[in-house]
Amino acid sequence: MSISLRGVMQSPVTPLKADFSPDLPTFERLLDFHVRTGATAISWPHHKGESLNLTIAERKAFAEVAVQVVAGRIPVSIHVSALAVEDSMELARHAQSIGADAIIAITPYFWLPSVDAIYDYFVRLGTSIDLPLIAYNSPSYLAGVEFTAELTRRLIERLPNFIAMKEASFNSEKFLEISRVALALRPNFSMIAGVEFLAPSVPLGGAGSYSSAGAICPNLCTQLYAACVAGESVRARELQFKLARLWNLFRDQYPSSLKGGMVVMGRPVGPTRPPLPTASKERQAYIATQLAELGILETEPHGW
Amino acid sequence: MPGFTPGLAHAPITPFTPGLQIDFGLFEKVIEFHLRHGAQALALPMHTGESVSLSDAEQRKLVAFTIKAVKGRVPVIAHVSDAGTGIAADRARHAQDAGAAAVVATTPYYWTPPPAMVLEHFAQIGSAVSIPFFVFYTPGELGATKIETDLVLKLLDRLGNFAGVVDASLDWQFMINIVSNAWRVRPDFQLVSGTEYMVSAGAVGATSMFSSLAGVAPTRVRQLYDICRTEKYFDARPAQEDLAALRQIVKRAGAGGLKGALRAMGRECGEPRPPLDRLSAGGYDKLAAELGALAVLRAEPRGW
Repeated sequence: MSISLRGVMQSPVTPLKADFSPDLPTFERLLDFHVRTGATAISWPHHKGESLNLTIAERKAFAEVAVQVVAGRIPVSIHVSALAVEDSMELARHAQSIGADAIIAITPYFWLPSVDAIYDYFVRLGTSIDLPLIAYNSPSYLAGVEFTAELTRRLIERLPNFIAMKEASFNSEKFLEISRVALALRPNFSMIAGVEFLAPSVPLGGAGSYSSAGAICPNLCTQLYAACVAGESVRARELQFKLARLWNLFRDQYPSSLKGGMVVMGRPVGPTRPPLPTASKERQAYIATQLAELGILETEPHGW
Repeated sequence: MPGFTPGLAHAPITPFTPGLQIDFGLFEKVIEFHLRHGAQALALPMHTGESVSLSDAEQRKLVAFTIKAVKGRVPVIAHVSDAGTGIAADRARHAQDAGAAAVVATTPYYWTPPPAMVLEHFAQIGSAVSIPFFVFYTPGELGATKIETDLVLKLLDRLGNFAGVVDASLDWQFMINIVSNAWRVRPDFQLVSGTEYMVSAGAVGATSMFSSLAGVAPTRVRQLYDICRTEKYFDARPAQEDLAALRQIVKRAGAGGLKGALRAMGRECGEPRPPLDRLSAGGYDKLAAELGALAVLRAEPRGW
């Protein structure tokens, strides 16, 4: 059950048809694109994959496709967070039954659970399966509900399958407090930056990142990671600045801007489900000018 | 106004007598301690120097006293923040007249002005002086008023002496946005790490650092800073983790933690002024015990 999570890992968007129904054939192409362009793991559906706008049945269907198409070439983890904890438990059991390599889960939504309640939730989730568990920390999106160093320590001591954290505070102190504790207790633990903030996290023990822009510019993502692990600080900074500019572009109406950018790159994946907007033609044109200015159109693959 | 890099700026505490007046006799020792132990500049009175608990007259006197005592050995950066723009601008003028090398100011205390007035606040303080002017961003302490890239670019347009941003947000995207955009307009614009979380800040472009923990562990602080200036961020990780551990211990002890830590290092400097809580006897004992267990402090100087 041991997997290694390092490098730039991709969390694909969720392709939808014009009527907003699931587009599984395009999802297959997208997964294959990520594997061919250097993804070191697949994790689906993060919020970028519109997880909370999909029914539980739809999530299971997409998850099955992900495992089948990737076919063991790289690890596949399934994000099981849902509004209701019982749905998360169900998605975790399903992930295991279809042969996923790991599950990932954020702190519970909406409620402001106590630290002990978060601990109990992850223990229940982590002991319900025989798969590695990745925790997901995103305090700014969840009203400050977060993993502290102490909570991380308790969970590592309790759960032998707790192997990684998607850390999306993008904050030096928060990242380092968790990484200091986690790596001391479990040296193979993977601290994964929530998006490609690799220059500030790799020197602190960061193992890599999930990717916001990997469906747009996989080459840039890979180059940034390579520069960071090689300690090429000046080059890493230059590439990081470029990716940060892309993050500014895409996090506006995330992930609809990302889907809009994929149209520009010749990899259309359809609309975004409400309440999120779909990138208009005008928005797509603006994204195209930004991608051109950054040189992305010349340096990154076009089409599938 | 090109070329002013603060380097490693120590941010001293302000010692008080038992009657809670500034203890200038002891403060002279504080200054000499910092100069002997690695300070390349002094920044004061910062929040860790209880600036907000000092009257305007006391702040002026403290800055003038420091400049006189330092005798040009290192630059003195005067912190001039206030709620009222005019008050802060007057204090900046006084600092310049007294011989300060630069001034630094936060967003206004208490008020949450609209962005145009935040710009006006900084523009008036900055234009009150001809020495370099730094903006201090500390949203953890002054949450509601945000600094955006647009404000920094407008300030660069208005102020020839706008030298940089001192960041205590620890926010990777903020730091990257500010410095990557400012460098296009003013290549010698400085990103200054406002705390000892220098690895991530340096990786994205910080060249200087303000340190309050330099009063406790000046040797390790200097090592961290020096390694980061060579851009060998992997090598800086052990020092970064040591100082992160120290910071968390001091932070847990509360408002009196920093002065308590100095006392534990044999550098008695009195209690903080109300309304900050002084450390209880039990609180001090716990702090001292935790510091005693930190191996890194064994190499640090004791006494003044």
